[in-house]
Amino acid sequence: MGKYVLRRILQMIPVVLGTTLLIYALVFALPGDPVKAMFGEKPVNDAVAAQIRSEYNLDKPFIVQYLLFLKNALTLNFGNTFAGRPVIDVIAGAFPVTIKLALMAFVFEGLFGVIFGIISGLKKGTWYDSVILIVSLLLISVPTFVTGFVGQYLFGVKWQILPVTAGRNPGFLDLLMPACVLGSVSMAYIIRLTRTEVASNKTADYVRTARAKGMSNRAVTMRHILRNSLIPVVTYLGADLGSLMGGAMITERIFNIQGIGNTLWQAILRGEGTLTVSIVTLLVLVFVVCNLIVDLLYAVLDPRIRYE
Amino acid sequence: MSNTTIEASSSKSGATQSDSAPRPLLEVKDLQVQFTTSTGSFTAVRDSDFTVYPGQWVAIVGESGSGKSTSAMSVLGLLPGTGHVTGGSIKLDGEDITHYTSKQFESIRGKRIGLVPQDPMSNLNPVWRIGTQVKEAIVANGMDVKREKRSELAQRLADSETDGHYHGDDDELFIGSAQLPQLIENARAAVASVTDDAEAVEKAMAHFNEQWVAGSSTRWQVREDLIAAGVPADEAKRIATTYVVGATMDDRIAGLLTEAGLPDAATRARQYPYEFSGGMRQRALIAIGLAARPELLIADEPTSALDVTVQKRILDHLQFLTDSLGTAVLFITHDLGLAAERAQHIVVMYKGRVVESGPSLEVLQHPQHPYTKRLVAAAPSLASQRIISARQRGDAAAADASLDHAAKDAQQIAGSETIIEVQHLVKEFKMPRRKEMFRAVDDVSFSVRRGTTCAIVGESGSGKSTVANMVLHLLDPTSGTVLYEGKDVHSFDRRQLLDFRRHVQPVFQNPYGSLDPMYSIYRSIEEPLKIHGIGNKKTRLARVRELLDMVSLPQSTMTRYPNELSGGQRQRIAIARAMALNPDVIVCDEAVSALDVLVQDQVLHLLNDLQAEQGLSYLFITHDLAVVRQIADDVVVMRQGKLVEHATTDEVFNSPKTQYTRDLLDAIPGGSLKLGLD
Repeated sequence: MGKYVLRRILQMIPVVLGTTLLIYALVFALPGDPVKAMFGEKPVNDAVAAQIRSEYNLDKPFIVQYLLFLKNALTLNFGNTFAGRPVIDVIAGAFPVTIKLALMAFVFEGLFGVIFGIISGLKKGTWYDSVILIVSLLLISVPTFVTGFVGQYLFGVKWQILPVTAGRNPGFLDLLMPACVLGSVSMAYIIRLTRTEVASNKTADYVRTARAKGMSNRAVTMRHILRNSLIPVVTYLGADLGSLMGGAMITERIFNIQGIGNTLWQAILRGEGTLTVSIVTLLVLVFVVCNLIVDLLYAVLDPRIRYE
Repeated sequence: MSNTTIEASSSKSGATQSDSAPRPLLEVKDLQVQFTTSTGSFTAVRDSDFTVYPGQWVAIVGESGSGKSTSAMSVLGLLPGTGHVTGGSIKLDGEDITHYTSKQFESIRGKRIGLVPQDPMSNLNPVWRIGTQVKEAIVANGMDVKREKRSELAQRLADSETDGHYHGDDDELFIGSAQLPQLIENARAAVASVTDDAEAVEKAMAHFNEQWVAGSSTRWQVREDLIAAGVPADEAKRIATTYVVGATMDDRIAGLLTEAGLPDAATRARQYPYEFSGGMRQRALIAIGLAARPELLIADEPTSALDVTVQKRILDHLQFLTDSLGTAVLFITHDLGLAAERAQHIVVMYKGRVVESGPSLEVLQHPQHPYTKRLVAAAPSLASQRIISARQRGDAAAADASLDHAAKDAQQIAGSETIIEVQHLVKEFKMPRRKEMFRAVDDVSFSVRRGTTCAIVGESGSGKSTVANMVLHLLDPTSGTVLYEGKDVHSFDRRQLLDFRRHVQPVFQNPYGSLDPMYSIYRSIEEPLKIHGIGNKKTRLARVRELLDMVSLPQSTMTRYPNELSGGQRQRIAIARAMALNPDVIVCDEAVSALDVLVQDQVLHLLNDLQAEQGLSYLFITHDLAVVRQIADDVVVMRQGKLVEHATTDEVFNSPKTQYTRDLLDAIPGGSLKLGLD
């Protein structure tokens, strides 16, 4: 087990190196001059521009820039934004909000996805199942920003139950609607996954054997059908936590949440290589760690999987 | 558990049964079961009748789809999917359970009717420990883990066993693992005090150690064992009463698993199903089925997925257990020989109906219904001779021809050279997480004579399929050679290999998996011709027609797809495909194992006729010695990668040289039964 974890952690190194290099190259290849972008419409003094270029290493070749970034990153110095704020501060300010949002979305999709999925799977073929299926299909096919705007209009403007946007330092209620919108698509997938698993496990041979033992329907459902059905669902949920952390760009923009997604969006717009790469590196790390946790969790849930 | 006691009691069970009033335990009358499908309803079972008396083994025999499992499952209220009982009645001990609610069925499942299901691989939940799954059966039925629950029948047996000193409840307390060491210690002291013979003491102790199992052996059994060893009755009673005071849940789980024949049960109970072999899982399932001491056990093909020798051991054990517990068994099987050997009464089902039922030997020796007659004739376990070819089977007019053919056959065989020769074949595999290599095939040499059938027999894991794969050049040997027509197969270049592939064709076990579901039958059979660039479109079509003819399938089959065909038809297609290139050798890897007996019989006859007509040589891989007898000229017996015996079929069957071969032969069900076929 220890060996396995170590090997997985070592595997992270090439993954992180590869992704950062790729992102760095993409940002570098973006059209437009970041220095000009900083000054907006104002004319730029050549001497000032040159100084800024050298300060941010923009005058050096791409690969040197990348290596310098890596060197600094190793000492946790991610440099400054063009506005002069340390990158690490920007991230520290935005990340907690994203974590809060992601966790709320995670709880929402996990709870309701599993519950509806189980009901749907157990009552397969009934009108109940059909309604849940149609709703989940709707959620999958409608883009997040549509769900978001509809939510804003209905709950925020029309009925005025929840705030329309979140703003700075959002609380639980501020984030409730964004979290539901963010988690809705995954919830729909979880419903479908759980439903399929439950429906197929329901007719499994070992479930029949359990019934033949004289176990009550309730015990059979809990101990045999649900326990086995939830293994793939947990795997999906774990992997999804990673994407929730990074994938909130659209939702954060709709609800004006100052999280990682929003920050990343602005960094890309401004061509801020350091900030973009730093955030993406962080997201890659979060994703890789989440995946590792999922794999370890899988071994706990399914005794057939053993890591050595 | 006391072996001697129970063996003795089981021999008496027949007598006890006949004393008791013949009130049926299970009575199924005019049972009708329907499945609702999108196109209407389909009747799986109609007018099915059978009766099981207490302590009796009744077998339901039939091919897959005959409704035998469906009938049995309706007794448990566990019909799959949309199945439901639409007519007739099911009575358990006089009570009508036909229209029980699911809650009512819950109350009789496990406690009154147990189940040992068919496929040990899929019937245990992979994520729970074996012990936990046994425990579920104990808890669900509110079983007292401290003492044995004995049926009335078994109580009477116990009473006769102890000369009327059986005291019921407290006498049924189990040994607990906590008290077992003290019990053994005291027993030693008691035995030592009555005899000076050290050897006798050791012998008695060895007996105790083996027989006294925590969670399984009871107080009265301990007492009787002590008395049998010469301990005075008072002392035996004192020891048994002091140290046999009931078991814990863990003891009981281990006890049940031990009873089912699982060694080292206490440790095994903590393992997961994937750590068990098929045979061990089946034992766990038997322990589960008997955990709540049901009056009736439904055993649905309990050993069909297992090797013959394992099958025999498990059934022997199950029979011994159910006899000692007085449990009646409804035994479902497709093997008539097996049914006749194990059950007192046979019910034959065909297409959802009971076509015949009666005492086992009666059914076997005087089958009335045409289907039963065919079944008896086809049962591989009952066949005693090699199939003779169609020409030889021919009518009187063809007698001359057949004589001629037989003569030619004999001549050919006598003078035949070897077409395939295997020399000192070794195959090693790397084991995961282990340094040493696993020898799957260990120095195997044999040869296949032209125009004959050589069978490789062995249990799963014996390396027989590995040998076949090396002969087919699908796997490279670690050392040793495979000679085809005197040339080393593994030294072939690409062109030679293609030519070799053309002459040596495989037919695999699973006719469902070896045909591409997206290919029409025509395309499947034509494919090898195309690959080898033989003929044009027109001649290939003609060849496919000819091949379908050869395997007795209508021309219309060409346009169909594998999913529209039955297992037997698919296997015929697989054979037709193998025949397409006019091969010299066909390697059949368990080619008939997945088929029902009657279909199996047809396919074997087909293979045999093709051999007679085309002079084919077969390398026939199988675990079923009964099939070997029907098809093979020579037999290679393999065990754990090694060649155990290599001789002609007659020699192997009539005078087996090794104990292992004898065990294999003994394990053929129904081998000792006599038939009376016209």
